Amino acid sequence: MKKRCLEYTGIFCCLFFSLLAAFSVGRYIIPFKEVCGILISYIAPVEPYWTDIQYRVVTLIRIPRVLGAGLAGATLAMAGAALQGILKNPLVSPQVIGVSTGAAFGGVLAILLFESSLATMGLAYAGGLLSLIAVWVLCNRGRGASPLSLVLGGIIINAFFTALISLIEYVADPYDKLPAIVVWLMGSFASLSYDKLFRSAPPLLLAGTLLWMLRFRINVLSLGSEEAQSLGIDVTRTRWLVMAVVAMVASATVAMAGVVGWIGLVVPHITRMFVGNDHKRLIPLSCFLGGMYTILVDTLARTLVEVEIPMGVLTALVGTPLFAFLMYRLMKDER
Amino acid sequence: MFEKIERETSNNERAEKALICARRVGFRYSAEGEWILKNFSFELSAGEIMAVLGPNGRGKTTLLKLLIGLVKPVEGSIRCGGRLSYVPQVSTPAFDYKVLDMVVMGRAAEIGLFAVPGARDYKYAEEALLRLGIADLAQRNYSRLSGGQRQLVLIARALVSAPCGLVLDEPTSALDFKNQDLILRTLRQLAEQGLSIVMTTHAPNHALHVASRILILEQKTEYLYGPPSEVMTHEELHRLYGLELKKLTFEHHGQELQSVVPIFS
Amino acid sequence: MYLNKQKFMGKTIVLSALIGISLFAGFAFAADSVVFGDQYGREVKLDKPAQRIVTVPIPAASMVMALDGTDQHLVGMNPSAKRALLEGILGKFFPSSANINSDIVMGEGFAPNVETLLTLAPDIVFQWGDRGDDIVKPIEAAKLNLALLKYGTQEDLETWIGMFGAALGKTKRADKILDWHRSERAQLEKAVAAIPQDKRPKIVYLYRYGDSIQIGGQNSYFDYFIKMVGGVNPAENSPSESQINEEQLLTWDPDIILLNGFQSALAPDDVYANANLAGIKAIKNRHVYKMPLGGYRWDPPNQESPLMWKWLAMLAHPDTFNWDLRSDIVEAYRFLYNQEPTQEDIDGILRLPMNATAANYSKFTQSK
Repeated sequence: MKKRCLEYTGIFCCLFFSLLAAFSVGRYIIPFKEVCGILISYIAPVEPYWTDIQYRVVTLIRIPRVLGAGLAGATLAMAGAALQGILKNPLVSPQVIGVSTGAAFGGVLAILLFESSLATMGLAYAGGLLSLIAVWVLCNRGRGASPLSLVLGGIIINAFFTALISLIEYVADPYDKLPAIVVWLMGSFASLSYDKLFRSAPPLLLAGTLLWMLRFRINVLSLGSEEAQSLGIDVTRTRWLVMAVVAMVASATVAMAGVVGWIGLVVPHITRMFVGNDHKRLIPLSCFLGGMYTILVDTLARTLVEVEIPMGVLTALVGTPLFAFLMYRLMKDER
Repeated sequence: MFEKIERETSNNERAEKALICARRVGFRYSAEGEWILKNFSFELSAGEIMAVLGPNGRGKTTLLKLLIGLVKPVEGSIRCGGRLSYVPQVSTPAFDYKVLDMVVMGRAAEIGLFAVPGARDYKYAEEALLRLGIADLAQRNYSRLSGGQRQLVLIARALVSAPCGLVLDEPTSALDFKNQDLILRTLRQLAEQGLSIVMTTHAPNHALHVASRILILEQKTEYLYGPPSEVMTHEELHRLYGLELKKLTFEHHGQELQSVVPIFS
Repeated sequence: MYLNKQKFMGKTIVLSALIGISLFAGFAFAADSVVFGDQYGREVKLDKPAQRIVTVPIPAASMVMALDGTDQHLVGMNPSAKRALLEGILGKFFPSSANINSDIVMGEGFAPNVETLLTLAPDIVFQWGDRGDDIVKPIEAAKLNLALLKYGTQEDLETWIGMFGAALGKTKRADKILDWHRSERAQLEKAVAAIPQDKRPKIVYLYRYGDSIQIGGQNSYFDYFIKMVGGVNPAENSPSESQINEEQLLTWDPDIILLNGFQSALAPDDVYANANLAGIKAIKNRHVYKMPLGGYRWDPPNQESPLMWKWLAMLAHPDTFNWDLRSDIVEAYRFLYNQEPTQEDIDGILRLPMNATAANYSKFTQSK
């Protein structure tokens, strides 16, 4: 118990310092002292020794962006871990069940038809929900819930919405809408405002809490349908519950930042290498690691060079070598 | 006439004492489908072991599902004096868990949808491990265990929900002799502690060794049920396995033992 | 991604095209036959000047109309070009252009719809040459006359003008337009050379502003015109049309922000209203301008580009440059389109409702 306490203290410290670091760096140079002052002024009165622009950059641009990235990463990682658990397959990620693609289609359609981020978010949710319903209908209206049928259903829906996205790219005005669509599909937290954060945070927080609470059930489901059923739980209903929660995470993150891939696959794996497969620990730790990883990657994305590096590119570029290294270590241990 | 009444009385008495009592059970998956099981009855008292024999695809798995309540009988009834726990065949899990975590999942039905096992659940799990003499494995990884140890862990998991009986799916298949012996001994001890045990097996020797009742599932809707001495006759075994075999009786350290030896072509 | 094209090939091709035209037009063929080279080394031969032209590239449609001085010989164009046309002044000048076919591509990209092309029976089809073979091969397979275009620089633009002029049999008119472009450029470049580096304002062109902010960078026409009018493009080293964040814009702290003409609803007020950007010089001083929309959007290279250079130069160096842009527009339009724009038309071209409150913009308003 004492060991766990120490562990969580360590994690909270890491989280605190990564947040502080993320608030402190950016393309607009602000001395660390000023950043600290601005942050402290939230909880205690401080005589301002910073400029208005510095204050606005920290409070209006960096804080919502960093918090949004952290929240999205944390929930995506949890969703990935949960999905891998219930589908008994360590190779799936929230993208597999088709919901991300459905949500992406909704968002792309909104960019094509409207010019408002509210519409983009709304249609992204609608697209995510639609694809979940489609998978549900494909699985004999929810009566079937075997990992195979869920993954197959997801692949079908994924392919369908991918085709629709291509179609929209095809009909989008190449000078007006297409550039926006391309940028959006690669995922970015660049336009994360408080508005967007407050609109996405409730579903993400709810989904995160549900996944955290379901962590023991996910252990049981990972044994497989028959075994889980013989242990006395309602496999079909529980699996669909987890699916719905994962869908909520996928839609909400797509609505917030476009398609941010890889986190849901890489982070749970990295976490597994540290703490093993027990979802009772895996899910909470994936949450922290996912949050920190995404904050780190997003910080790189917005600071490395003048232009934003697309999240989709960076999560893969940072994730794969890390993943490869850990896998190499693991393989060596196994021998 | 008189004889028949007497037999029925004794049957009723048996049924009253029985922990598990199946009466003229029939099952099929859909209303137009073929009957998978039909018109079979048996009863099992506390402390008894029943071995279910029969070729693959004859409904052994369906029978186990009926017993643990995953499917409901279409005809007849299955009455059970308590909870039956299922012990699946040993397989390699997709995710590796610690033995204690594996065992505590046996409490899933008692733990709410949004809850995690508490101290009491872990205590039950530890007790179950202790009961099977594998408390030292608690912190080991399940997938690093031998087949016999894994089977013991699965039995322990079935025990944590305090069942009145166990239903095991081929608990001795894919085990070497030593581990077969370990599992059979364990099952016998559990039966002596008052649990009713139903197990499927392809090994007639195992049935002869531990079972006091035998259920042989034959063609379609025919079945045979009774004590081993009545049911496991030479003719019956010959018919069941479809090859020549010899039933041997021999003495070992003053004990009379029976064994079925197939005559391979 | 779309506008930063390589500069190689440029002038040699112009030269070879001109030589080709003079050589062949001179003696090899009958008097009214047409031969010219495209930007990818093809030789295009037409029996007579093209009467039916299809342009797949978006800015090409209005250029063909300008070269022609009428809309009569353009029979097919990109739907996006048609929207810009109807949104801008050409729709009013040439009302019949609303009937020009715009089904020549699948969807909105550049993949040709060959069946429509064949129905239109064009004398020549202009297509992009730098976007892969897939959009070229089908037209070749249909045995239609085809000329390929390359996009990006002022040199490319000038080559286009020469090609369209050749195809229409109006090389003299093309030369006149080219002379106008070249003399305006030479004049401007000479005047700009005298401006010291520290007097050059930082100008950022926003290729997109909204959920993402994208800039005009390296090797783009945006970068070219910013520097040409004596401005500094802080994004010159970044790939064009890439995304930046608001902090980067704050760090650059540009003196002038140009808003693209592609997003029709986008207005300077959208930028002024963004609290995150408050403090940027361009915003404080109200130097955020919407790019005008004339015969075509003024952002990419087009037949009216000299007008855009002057417009931007007057905004970048209000004390140095002062022309009567409104009468320049009238004069240019008389020449290009044989049309007389009204004062209201010019207000629309210069986006006066949107830009009205911007600083230094009064010089573009009607003299009362």
